[in-house]
Amino acid sequence: MILSLYRYRWLLYELVLRDLMQRYRGSALGFLWTLLNPVLFMGVYTLVFSVYLRAGMEHYALFLVSAMVPWLWFSSSIQQGTTSIIDGRMYIGKAAFAPVVLILVPVLSNMVNFLLTVPFLFLIVALSHHKIGISLVVLPVLITIQFVLTLAVLLFTATFNVFYRDLQQLIPIAMLLLFYLIPIFYPLSSVPAALRPFILANPFVAIALAYQNVFYANAWPDFYLLAYTALTALVLFAIGVAIFTRYEETFTEYL
Amino acid sequence: MNAITASNVSKQFRYVGIPKQTTFKESIVRLQIFRRPENRYVRAIDDVSFAVEQGTMLGVIGRNGSGKTTLMRLLARVYRPNTGTIKINGQTTLLSLGVGFHPDFTGRENVKISGLILGLTPREIQSKFAEIVEFSELGEFIDAPVRTYSTGMYLRLAFSIAISVDPDVLLLDEVLAVGDEAFAAKCFGRIQQFKRRGKTIVLVTHDAQTILAWCDSALWLEHGKARMYGAPASVVAGYHAALAGYGDEPLLEAATPEQA
Repeated sequence: MILSLYRYRWLLYELVLRDLMQRYRGSALGFLWTLLNPVLFMGVYTLVFSVYLRAGMEHYALFLVSAMVPWLWFSSSIQQGTTSIIDGRMYIGKAAFAPVVLILVPVLSNMVNFLLTVPFLFLIVALSHHKIGISLVVLPVLITIQFVLTLAVLLFTATFNVFYRDLQQLIPIAMLLLFYLIPIFYPLSSVPAALRPFILANPFVAIALAYQNVFYANAWPDFYLLAYTALTALVLFAIGVAIFTRYEETFTEYL
Repeated sequence: MNAITASNVSKQFRYVGIPKQTTFKESIVRLQIFRRPENRYVRAIDDVSFAVEQGTMLGVIGRNGSGKTTLMRLLARVYRPNTGTIKINGQTTLLSLGVGFHPDFTGRENVKISGLILGLTPREIQSKFAEIVEFSELGEFIDAPVRTYSTGMYLRLAFSIAISVDPDVLLLDEVLAVGDEAFAAKCFGRIQQFKRRGKTIVLVTHDAQTILAWCDSALWLEHGKARMYGAPASVVAGYHAALAGYGDEPLLEAATPEQA
């Protein structure tokens, strides 16, 4: 699989470029739309939590945006990627072509959007008169872990969606519920202690908390928690590759 | 030297009933999420052997559903055979109807993507681009979205790309019937030229005339089996004789479980 990815690296590049261009084609604001999403979220949530509910968290806007930015990369990739095999059906069955390329495209194009949003995150840090410390060096590690985790989840969802299209209906709902269930717009301390292990079992949570630590609290992330996520991601990835390889040949019969 | 050697190749598919929009609900009700919903198989290709000498052209003939497209996909390595082996000397390119074009992308963008899928590098595509557009005669339509193309235009572009890849083995699945006569003649000229350079072609068609005129050997598939294989004239004669007697016989039947 790695070998075929190397073989199709130019195709991957081209498809990611097309995906990004197509998304912004014909829209006057272009990339600003991608940026507008976290900005609007930030505005509404800050209003609700700082003004309506008086949650009393200092610099709530920064707190929210720090975990929101990686979350948007994750959730957009999963939503777009789940249908990627079906959306790319015209490329399947025509050549000895590796369908895994199709799964990688949304992960990478959303990663580009994510990377373009990171400067916005720094801007909010500056506006909040917060400081970012040495812990920023873990950012590449966080990005790598999230990349593997996202791809691992997609190997499952994209494969099964070919056979059970219900999944593409379920995923947006699941993503919305997940957003409320994990500490992105509220701190982990708001979750009752008894429930915390269940929340922490979700591998994405370690990533969200790490971003809050780095960008909001100017602290090191919890490395045990991150190691758990990295390990989970790798195991899921290995199983995902096995499942994908097992079923990819039958895609042509169902598309 | 043989460009293609297929020995006792079989490929079977799980029988997929009515447009299979499986739902979770259905599967749970039948407790079948982890079980196979159907245990019937279709042997799309059944113990087929043949060899194609380098620099020659093989014509594959047969009724709808006789396994022609499956055979082409096996040759293109889209499918792996369940049993038997296929040996191919060199690179293959498959050209079939509905080749992988994205309807919303322009012809130009699709040339690039198809070329990459077929294994060209960006530089190679760039150097061949003018030639591709010229051969396709699409002119300024190359910058229009492919969804606005007619079937003929679509095919012209697809053929131009496939031939420009310059594979060792070119697999043509029922594609020459669609273009107009002038373009078909142009393609034919290109294929002859291709053959003279020692390249090999496998052509699927319903048209016996094409096989008689172009091919060096012919393979007649029926129910996935090689009914006849040999000189074009005798295979076509046999096929025509059988066609008269087919009547209303069903095309294919799904078999009971069989070991791959």
